[in-house]
Amino acid sequence: MKTSLKKGLSSGVIFGIVFIFLLLIGFINVGSTMIGDLLGNTASGRLPVNNLLTFLAVLGVLTGITARNGLGESQWWQALLGGLVAGLVSGVLAWLAIWLTGTLSLQGSEIQTYLPNMDPADLNYLRFYSTPLAAANTYLLYFVGFSVAGAALVWLLSIKGWFVKCWQACRNGVSNWKGTKDLSDVFKNRWVMLVIFLAVAVALYFLPLAWGSYWNYIMGTVAIYVILGLGLNIIVGYSGQLVLGFGAFFATGAYTFALLTAPTPHGIGLNLWLAVGGSVLVSTLTGLLLGLPILNLRGDYLAIVTLGFGEIIRILIKSDLLTAVTNGPKGVTNVGQPTWFGETFNDVNYMHLLMLLVLVALFIAKRLKDSRTGRAWVAIREDQTVAQATGINTYRSKILALMLGAAFAGLAGALFASRNQFTGPEDFTLMVSINVLCIVIVGGMGSLPGIVLGAFVLKGLPELLRELEDYRLLVFGALLVVMMIVRPEGLWPAPRVKFDKPAEEPMQDLAPEVKQ
Amino acid sequence: MIKKLRNLKLTPGLILRLVVGLVVLIYLGWRIYQTAFGEGTYGPDTWMRFLIAGLIVGGMYALIAIGYTLVYGTLFMINFAHGEVMMLGTYAGYFALEAFASLPAPTAADPNLNFLNAQPVIALILTFVAGAGVSALMGYLLEKIAYRPLRGAPRLVPLISAIGTSIFLQNAAQLLFGPQRRQYQNPDFLWRGTGWMIPVGGKDVMLTYTGLFSFVLSILLMVGLFILVRRTKLGKSMRAVAENKQAAALMGIDVDSVISKTFIISGILAGSAGVMWGIHNGLFNHYVGFIPGIKAFTAAVLGGIGNIPGAMLGGMLLGLLESLGPALLGLDFQLKDVIAFTILILVLIFRPSGLLGEALSEEKV
Repeated sequence: MKTSLKKGLSSGVIFGIVFIFLLLIGFINVGSTMIGDLLGNTASGRLPVNNLLTFLAVLGVLTGITARNGLGESQWWQALLGGLVAGLVSGVLAWLAIWLTGTLSLQGSEIQTYLPNMDPADLNYLRFYSTPLAAANTYLLYFVGFSVAGAALVWLLSIKGWFVKCWQACRNGVSNWKGTKDLSDVFKNRWVMLVIFLAVAVALYFLPLAWGSYWNYIMGTVAIYVILGLGLNIIVGYSGQLVLGFGAFFATGAYTFALLTAPTPHGIGLNLWLAVGGSVLVSTLTGLLLGLPILNLRGDYLAIVTLGFGEIIRILIKSDLLTAVTNGPKGVTNVGQPTWFGETFNDVNYMHLLMLLVLVALFIAKRLKDSRTGRAWVAIREDQTVAQATGINTYRSKILALMLGAAFAGLAGALFASRNQFTGPEDFTLMVSINVLCIVIVGGMGSLPGIVLGAFVLKGLPELLRELEDYRLLVFGALLVVMMIVRPEGLWPAPRVKFDKPAEEPMQDLAPEVKQ
Repeated sequence: MIKKLRNLKLTPGLILRLVVGLVVLIYLGWRIYQTAFGEGTYGPDTWMRFLIAGLIVGGMYALIAIGYTLVYGTLFMINFAHGEVMMLGTYAGYFALEAFASLPAPTAADPNLNFLNAQPVIALILTFVAGAGVSALMGYLLEKIAYRPLRGAPRLVPLISAIGTSIFLQNAAQLLFGPQRRQYQNPDFLWRGTGWMIPVGGKDVMLTYTGLFSFVLSILLMVGLFILVRRTKLGKSMRAVAENKQAAALMGIDVDSVISKTFIISGILAGSAGVMWGIHNGLFNHYVGFIPGIKAFTAAVLGGIGNIPGAMLGGMLLGLLESLGPALLGLDFQLKDVIAFTILILVLIFRPSGLLGEALSEEKV
C-alpha cells in the first residue's frame, strides 16, 4: 500500500515534469504532428486533435508502466493503485500547466516574450480549440485513464505468463536457428564469404546510383563522420585518452587542403591528390606537436587542454592575425574538385570515392587494432601503470595514437572541404568534436562496427527526422548521460578478447617424478 | 642541484618544454620592456581601465572556479556542466528582476514606481536568492541524476556524462527561453554605465557601480565560503571527504549527503556569479555559461585544483591576465580567449599542480 503510493507519486511527479518540459519546449505539437504523419492522419489548416490525444495516451501509458515497474512483484490492486496515483499526480501537474498557459495566453499576457514556444495558435491547438478548463480536464482524464491502463497492461503481461512464455519461445527459436552448426560453418567457408563480399561490393556500387543527390549528400556526411569516428576511436577507444579538441585536426586538414587547391587567397593550385597527402601530413604534425607537451597529462586534464586547443585553432583561423593566410571569417571558397579523366566528380562519383576511403580506413583501423601497437594501446587504456611495467613506452604509444587519429581527421577534413567546395571557421566549432565523440561513445568505444552504426544513428537519423532538427542536440546530451548510466560500453561494444587458460597438463606424467 | 640536472633525461617532451618556455620568457620580457620604456601605445588611464575590468571579471571567475575546485576536491571529476549551472542562475535572476520591475509599488511622490526601484535592496537580495537557489537546485539534481549512479565507474564515464548534461542544459535553455539575447533590468541606482570618476594621469577613469558591486559581493562570498570550510562542522566534513572518502565514512560522516551539499554550495556560488554577470554585463543568452565555465576551470587549474584559496587567486589572476594580456603582448583584443587557453596549456605543461596546489598523488590527478 505504502510502496504503491510512493512509487506512484514519484513516477507521477517525474512524468508531470517531463510533460511540462515538453510543453514548454514546444515538443508536444511537434510530437503530435509526427504521430499524425506516422498514422497518415494529416490535414492542412486546422490540425487534427486525434494526434494530440494519441500522444497523451502514449505518455499516460508510459507513466503507468513506470509506476508498476517500480513496484516489482505486486498484487493487481497494488499495480492499479500505483498507476492511479501516478496518473493523478501527473494529470494534476498537466492540468495546472494547461490551465495556466491557456488562461494567460487568452488574457493576452506577455508569456510568449519569456517563453517563445507559448505561441497562441499552438496553445489553441493544445487546448483542443476549447476553453482552458475543459481542455485541462481532458488532460487529467487522459493521464489517469491511460496510466491505470498502462499499469494494468504490465500487470497482466507479468502475471499471466503467456507473454513471457511466448517471448522465451521466440528467443529459443532464434537461438536454435542461429546455433545450428551447419549455418555457422557456412560462414566460415572462404568461397561463401567471397560471394557475400562481392554482393556487398556490388550493392555499394549501385546504391549511390539509385539514391539521388539528396541521399548521396547525407550518406556522404555519414561517411566523413565514419572516418572521423575511426580516427578518434584510435585515440579514445584504443588508447583511452579523452581528446575533446578533435575538430582542430579536422580543421587543419580541411584548411590545408583548401589553401593548397583554392584560387584565393594563395592560388597554389596544387594537384589534388598531393593536397590530400598534404592535409594528412599537416594534421599528423599538428597531432605530434600537440601531443609532445601534453600527453603525459591524465584523463580530465587532457580533455580540457585539448578542448582549449580546439578553440584556439578556431579563434586563430578567424582572427585578424591570420586573415592573410586563412581568409579570416569569410572562409575559403572554390576548393579544388577531384576529376576523373578530365570530368569533375558528380555526387555519385563522390559517394563511391567516400565509400572506398571508408573501407580503406576501416581496414587500416582493424589492422592497427590487431597489431602490437594496438595491443599496447589497449594495455595503456586498461591500466597505464601496468602497461608501463610490462615495458611499453606509454608516452610514445600515446603520441603515436594521437598522430594516427589526427591523420584520419586530416583525410576527413580534406574530403569535407572538397565536397562542400568551401571551408570556414564555423564549420569546426566544439560541437563537431562533441559529435564525433558521441559517435565513438554511443557506437561503442574501440568497436569498428559500432563506429559505423554510431555515425548512422547520430548523423543519418537526424536527417531522416527533419522535424526533430531543433531537438537533436538536446537528445544528444540526454543520450550521452543515459548511455553512461545504462550502457557505458556502447550500442555495439567491441568484444573483449579472452585468452583461454593454458591447457592443463595431464597429471599422470608428473606423478612418477614426484614419487621418485 | 647539479646531480639532479645530470640525472635529467633529455626526452623530446622536455626539450620541447624548454624551448617553449624560453620562447615565451623572451617574448614576454621584450614586450614588458617595450610597454615600460618603449612607444607607449596606452596611457596610464587605459591601463587603469584594464586593471579594473580584470579585477571585476576575475571575481566572477573566482566564484565559478571555487565550484570546480570543491567538486574536484571531493569527487576528482571535472563538473563540466558547472558553466550551465551558472547560466541557469543568470536566467533565474533575469526573471526575478523582470517580475519585480513589473510589480507596481506606487507611492504618493511617484505613482509609476515599481517594486524594483521602491525597495531596491530587498529586490536585489531576492534576485540573488532566486539565482543562487535555482543554481543550487540544479547542482543538487545534477549530482543526483547524472553523477551519483556513476560513482565508482572509470573516470571517463562521469566526465562524458557531465559533457552530456552540459549539452542538454544549454539546449534546454535555448528551447525554453529562445536563442535571442536578453537584457538585465537593473534598479536605477545600479544602472549600467554609471559610476565614479577616478582621475588617473589627467584623465577620468570610470569605476562603474555594477562593477564595484560585483567585486565587493564576490569578495564577501569568498570570505563566507572560507569561513564555512574552515570553521563549521560541514566544512570539516567536506575536508574529511576530500581527504579520504572511506575513512570519512568510517568516522560517521554521511559521504553522499556531504557530496550533495558540496554541489549545492558550488551551485550557490555559480548562481551568484551568474546574476552578477547579468547585472554587470547586461546582455546574455544560453551560451553565457560556456566560456566563463571553461575560463573558470582554467583559473582553478592555474591556482591548483582542489585548493580553495588557489581557485580564488587563479580566478583573479586569470581575469587580470585576460584584460591586461592583449595590451601587454601587443595582440588584438579578439585573441583574449586564446590567451586564457594558452595560459591553461602552459600551466599544465610546466606546473600541473598549479600555483598553490600541492603535488597530488597519482590516484588524485
